[in-house]
Amino acid sequence: MLVISHLSKSFGQRQVLQDINLTIPQGQIYGLLGANGAGKTTLINLICGLLKSDCGQITIDGQRAETCARRLIGVVPQENLLYASLTCRENLAFFAALYGLRGVELRKSLQQCLTAVQLSHRADCLAHTLSGGMMRRLSVAVALLHQPKLIILDEPTTGLDIEARFEMWQLIQQLPQQGKTILLTTHLLEEAERLCDRLGILKQGRLVAEGTMADLRAGFGADQMLLLQVNAEDIPKTLVIAQQHQFIPRRHYGSECLAFALRGRRSLSDIVPLFAEVQLQSITLQPVSLEHIYLELQDPNSP
Amino acid sequence: MILYQAIAIARRILLELWRQKRSLILWVVFPISLLLLNGLVLAEGAKISTTESFKFAAPSTVVGAALFFSCLGGTVSTIVAERESKTLKRLLLCPLHSTSYFLGIYLAYVCIGVGQTLLVYAIASFWQVRFAGALWLGAVIVLASIGSYVGMGFLLGTKLARRPEDVNSLVAGIGVPLLILGGAFFPTSYLPDNLLLLTQLNPVYHMNSALLLVSADGKGLDDPDTLIHFRFLLGFVTIVIAAGGLAYRRMMNIEKQL
Repeated sequence: MLVISHLSKSFGQRQVLQDINLTIPQGQIYGLLGANGAGKTTLINLICGLLKSDCGQITIDGQRAETCARRLIGVVPQENLLYASLTCRENLAFFAALYGLRGVELRKSLQQCLTAVQLSHRADCLAHTLSGGMMRRLSVAVALLHQPKLIILDEPTTGLDIEARFEMWQLIQQLPQQGKTILLTTHLLEEAERLCDRLGILKQGRLVAEGTMADLRAGFGADQMLLLQVNAEDIPKTLVIAQQHQFIPRRHYGSECLAFALRGRRSLSDIVPLFAEVQLQSITLQPVSLEHIYLELQDPNSP
Repeated sequence: MILYQAIAIARRILLELWRQKRSLILWVVFPISLLLLNGLVLAEGAKISTTESFKFAAPSTVVGAALFFSCLGGTVSTIVAERESKTLKRLLLCPLHSTSYFLGIYLAYVCIGVGQTLLVYAIASFWQVRFAGALWLGAVIVLASIGSYVGMGFLLGTKLARRPEDVNSLVAGIGVPLLILGGAFFPTSYLPDNLLLLTQLNPVYHMNSALLLVSADGKGLDDPDTLIHFRFLLGFVTIVIAAGGLAYRRMMNIEKQL
């Protein structure tokens, strides 16, 4: 559905995206991760046809993005860019008209979208009276109006409370069932891990990792993470023991503790005796998560 | 498609104004009060009948004041509010043609401007004022005046007004001198000679004079004075719409980068 090949973009001397290659098959949810300034927004603007690339190509459903993006893509921007003094229905009718929908087609699309985002009961309420979650859902409805094949969700749950976030997740998970392809950007790794079929991690304009969660785990080179908290004087001894057992030291951001990557599956009962010589304050063994992979890749020292 | 999108834009602007009400009410109150003041002051000052004074006050009130504040001030406000609330960025994501956007704003303010014109002449009719000239010519002058103000609004809104607070200072700073020199508040014959020269370059003066000659004196395009004012108005509206369109495109290109 979306194919990006050798895409680069710079603003003046600053290279924002470098040789991005990406393919999203139809009906998949693709998560794009990266720190602020990694190039996510620029990539989205290029896909939407708002910016021109320096080199490379973007095709959507076989057509070049520059010519077809606005008709084939539905975008849910980071902010709810809606008209506060119009009702939900009026907002939708306005945007539908801009896409050229009219008459029966317009009314049908409006009703479908309101139902899909569960806002039928608030259709005639002014947009500014909606809760944050409802506003976000209305934003999604606007993006669905013209039956786009590709939907871009730019941080769709930022600023939402937990309940609204769960509702949004349910809504997003339903979209591929309607044949929609989703490109989602988020800073919430739990969200990406839960929703996305494939993930891409951007770092300083480069796609440093890409694939399914299993692919990323394989690339990480470990299956489990061991987190140890020991007294300061025990740290050298702990590192030696870890090295003896081929535990791979990793940077850990969560708290001031040591982190090691482990290959294969181990249990705590196997590991605790290995550290009998040091005084353990805490020990945690967990499967490698997206958070571990992401933090590792974002490490300034990692390639 | 362009017209359909333009109608959607116009409908949205009118709906928003209808919901806010305050602007609409003031755009009704303002021309009525100005017409009454202009008419009564002119009758007293020039020692003429109220029928005569309102005959002159009505066109000045319409193009010189009412349309200026609603169509120019309104256009600037619409663009600044759209940029401030970032809905402009949302529009960029839709297949909206820039001509549709301009035309949509123009249509919305045509509705308001024509409403104000009808209101002013309806009130003036209580003093037995009748539109003396050709109605079609009067309509063309009013529509061209609205076009000029909307075009100027695009220029000011995209180039000079960054925040909503800028709108008032811009309209007051640029608008009020133009209105005074354009004969909106008192006849330009009261102006000294050196200022009279300046009025020749003032589009408000030409709009006002054109409508005044057609409405009050029943003149047509066969009258040399009317023709000069009319030509100036048409030239001005063409230039200002082209310049406004260019400024709008440049603003949209900047918005795309943000």
